[in-house]
Amino acid sequence: MDRERWEKIQSLFHHAVGLDPPSRTPYLETECGGDTQLLAQILSMLEEDEHGSSLIDRGAGQAAAQALDASLSQREFGPYRIQRVLGEGGMGIVYFAGREDLGSVAAIKVLRDAWMSPSRRERFAVEQRTLARLSHPSIARLYDADTLPDGTPWFAMEYVEGVPITNDCLLLHSSIQDRLRLFRAVCEAVQYAHSHAVIHRDLKPSNILVQADGAVKLLDFGIAKQLDQTDSQHRTLTGLRLMTPAYAAPEQIRGQEAGIYSDVYSLGVILYELLTDQLPFDANNRQPGQEPLKPSQRARRAGWGDLDVLCLTAMHNDPQRRYGSAEALIRDIDHYLAGQPLEARPDSASYRIGKFLRRNQRAVAAAAVLFAGITGLVIYYTVRLAAARNEALAESARTQRVLRFTLNLFQGGDKDAGPATNLRVTELLDRGAAEAGALENEPEVQAELYASLGEVYAKLGLLDRADSLLHAALDRRKSLFGEEHPRVAESLVQIGLLRDNQAKLEEAEMLVRQGLEMSKRKLPPGHPGIAAATHALGKVLQDRGRYGEAIPVLQEAVRLRSAPGVAKAALAESLFELAGAHFYAGNYDRSEELNRRLLSMHREIYGARHPMVAEDLINLGAIQQERGNYPEAERYHRQALAITEAFYGDSHHKTATGLTLVARALGYQKRHQEAAELLARALLIQEKVFGKIHPRVASALNEMGVVALVRANYKEAEAVFTRTAEIYRSVYAGKHYLMGIALANLASVYMAQKQDRRAEPLFRQAIEIYKQTLPPGHLNEGITRIKLGRALLRQDRFAEAEQESLAGYEILSRQANPSVSWLQNAREDLGVIYTRLNQPDKAKKFLARAK
Amino acid sequence: MRKRGPKDVPVPARKNVDYLFSVTYEELRRLAVSVKSGDQASTLNPTALVHEAWLKLARSSEFAATSHLHFKRIAARAMRQVLVEAARRRTSQKRGGGGEAVFVTFDESLDQPAAQDEEMLRLDRALDDLARLNPRQADMVEARFFGGFDIPETAQLLEVSEATILRDWRAAKAWLAIEIRPGQ
Repeated sequence: MDRERWEKIQSLFHHAVGLDPPSRTPYLETECGGDTQLLAQILSMLEEDEHGSSLIDRGAGQAAAQALDASLSQREFGPYRIQRVLGEGGMGIVYFAGREDLGSVAAIKVLRDAWMSPSRRERFAVEQRTLARLSHPSIARLYDADTLPDGTPWFAMEYVEGVPITNDCLLLHSSIQDRLRLFRAVCEAVQYAHSHAVIHRDLKPSNILVQADGAVKLLDFGIAKQLDQTDSQHRTLTGLRLMTPAYAAPEQIRGQEAGIYSDVYSLGVILYELLTDQLPFDANNRQPGQEPLKPSQRARRAGWGDLDVLCLTAMHNDPQRRYGSAEALIRDIDHYLAGQPLEARPDSASYRIGKFLRRNQRAVAAAAVLFAGITGLVIYYTVRLAAARNEALAESARTQRVLRFTLNLFQGGDKDAGPATNLRVTELLDRGAAEAGALENEPEVQAELYASLGEVYAKLGLLDRADSLLHAALDRRKSLFGEEHPRVAESLVQIGLLRDNQAKLEEAEMLVRQGLEMSKRKLPPGHPGIAAATHALGKVLQDRGRYGEAIPVLQEAVRLRSAPGVAKAALAESLFELAGAHFYAGNYDRSEELNRRLLSMHREIYGARHPMVAEDLINLGAIQQERGNYPEAERYHRQALAITEAFYGDSHHKTATGLTLVARALGYQKRHQEAAELLARALLIQEKVFGKIHPRVASALNEMGVVALVRANYKEAEAVFTRTAEIYRSVYAGKHYLMGIALANLASVYMAQKQDRRAEPLFRQAIEIYKQTLPPGHLNEGITRIKLGRALLRQDRFAEAEQESLAGYEILSRQANPSVSWLQNAREDLGVIYTRLNQPDKAKKFLARAK
Repeated sequence: MRKRGPKDVPVPARKNVDYLFSVTYEELRRLAVSVKSGDQASTLNPTALVHEAWLKLARSSEFAATSHLHFKRIAARAMRQVLVEAARRRTSQKRGGGGEAVFVTFDESLDQPAAQDEEMLRLDRALDDLARLNPRQADMVEARFFGGFDIPETAQLLEVSEATILRDWRAAKAWLAIEIRPGQ
């Protein structure tokens, strides 16, 4: 048949369908002429049309039921014999099975149609591995796992007989206290899983059974995620099956990565249901960003203020503002049960400002580490070299040569010298590099020197020099030892860390992973090279903001470096990163514990008045700041400042940084006057050290401007931000995102005074700079476009405003941790814009989500 | 943003194909379970799982410009492949072909499914034939039958009126019914 004939068939068919049945055949006989085949074809089609019940009419569901209805005839799985089906889902079947030799029972989970795809097999294996690593009385445990001869995988796990935790009969006679205790046991099981780097991701009552004896059991880790899973395929795989929307966190519904915080959310929903006997949302009609009724309102109960806070903190739409861990939730349950005040605080404006400011904190901390004083550097290398020395003596003349060289380089390093010494070290390094360059006939030594020098350059922030030296080292090592060698691995890791330093994080991760894999292949387990590479990976993951993945990696680094014989400084280095990862992941308790340990280690290694000790105090201060304990934060920062000032003198840039931190703690306590005074001191120091035109001066000015803006000192804020912008303009020729920040801040001052026309061009300039200097779709660009949108909106330029607000909104929506307040602002603005543009449907959409 | 015609359906990378396969497999399996348990209301509505898959894959660059509707269209293609592949394996197993031991533990006693497997394979071939005669109609059947598209969605996907879809559907369905009869 050809196209033409098919067209003819259809045309005749349609015409005939329109006729009375009796007149169809005569009509077709005439039209078909002598083509009996054509006639027969169309008549058959008419018949099918009228009485058809073909596969197509029966539907794909029926087809699926038939095509996939390959029930298992296998009755025996290892020592287990199947008795009945417990459940059946997309993934596989779960059977109830008995074991005759032991007289015990189990649940057997079988993956059906394992041939269908590797990702299903992998996911099944992941569930099995997840269960294997969890051993907790409240988690159903894995007994056995194997594969049938045909390749069908299965595993046996604990059979749990019980009712869902929200079962009516169960709850009928239990008080709120009883329910909370039950719920607490669930939280403990979840906390246990989290501490083993497993996120459940599908917490719901049907997965939480209460047994006859009142014990709780957590089931179904079918879509659980292991935090330390690194293979990229696993990442796309996770969450294949849809979690239950009623209990899913907003970020899960949006299809974003789930974390510990998502489980905390689900726990919150379960608690809500336990308290009120109702779900917080209509599961079929749930809007993203929707806020539930308070449990007290839903249950019409008075005196439930703390329960409201407890429940709604766990269920906060913004993951950052939920309980940071199941443990934190447990603590507040305990506080509630003991009649003590909760740790969770209701939202407040100051908290929101705090949240905004704390985003910058990380940059400051990073800068502080980067600009570690030369003294610390010398001590660091002395310690490192001391460790290296032992190795070297035992090893080869080659290493000794390197060691001498490096030691010579640092000889005379004056540990009490001020920042000017930086220059001398640079000179020394440059001389060293030149000397190393002359060692062409000793390529091995040369490679070692290049690697060491490259690392030192990187520490000093001379990244371009570091880059070329580290690459030179890599090239020489490759040609000396081949592509696969521990030294090559070391170079890959070093360059990876350099990329990390250059904020090329993706490349950094790739290189460090390569180096780590190679180290593992080429070195015996537990070798310091593996530890160093593991540490590097953890650091890079942390800098990528993937704290959940970074934590287990850094824990492994800590474990490796806790081995006897490893220099304490190396262990401290890993602990330092781990403490940071926990901090950024919101595990303040863990971070605090680690920082305290670091504090005592550093005091032991360096003495009580060393900058590293100040560093730990600063981190402890930051933790207190996060908890909203500002007076305590202030105390830590003042202690740190005292050490820094004593160590570096009162006119050192580190002292200025210390002053800034104290000022921030004061700012949170609304002691703006004192804060402004300290910031003025900090500014003076930076100007004295770096001259009037320097990024550090600009940074100090920026801090002052923020305080001035908060205090509504618009004149001062304007002057300060103008100067900031001028500095960045002359230092970076406007080619740096900081320039954009300065302009946007200045514009914000105008906005605060309702001078929207003045703000507009500044926002536009800032956006242009971000586009040129930041990766596309950067948070800064998003926020500034929303601000610009608002400036336009206020001028009634709705069409232009729409463009900006929408662009900004889209950028923010794509962020892993979008700034919720700005998303809200954008929704509100878009609601107004569309209303004014006479597009009520769109307006409604945004207003509904802007609550 | 440029509108994508059905011809522009991107070919997903291997890893994503596998992912999509397992998502659609589970959707079909879920559907099969509900059909077998007599839930008459269950229809092919791959919204939930496929929507989630879309949320995930839409972030990869190859799908970045793919609308939800077109993604669903890709999923429909995957569903067809899953069902045809399942049928093919079962029939080749029956004939003793393939030489793989994969299905030895599956219940092979029923002849009925074998006939239905053949039917599925014939539908697959007939759809290929239809694609040669009128590609749009073949796309339509694939979307409606394997993807659970309703009339308005199909019309939107193929950029024609709903009336045209209804007409095309009726003729194609009648013709396919004949083509997939045993012995054709």
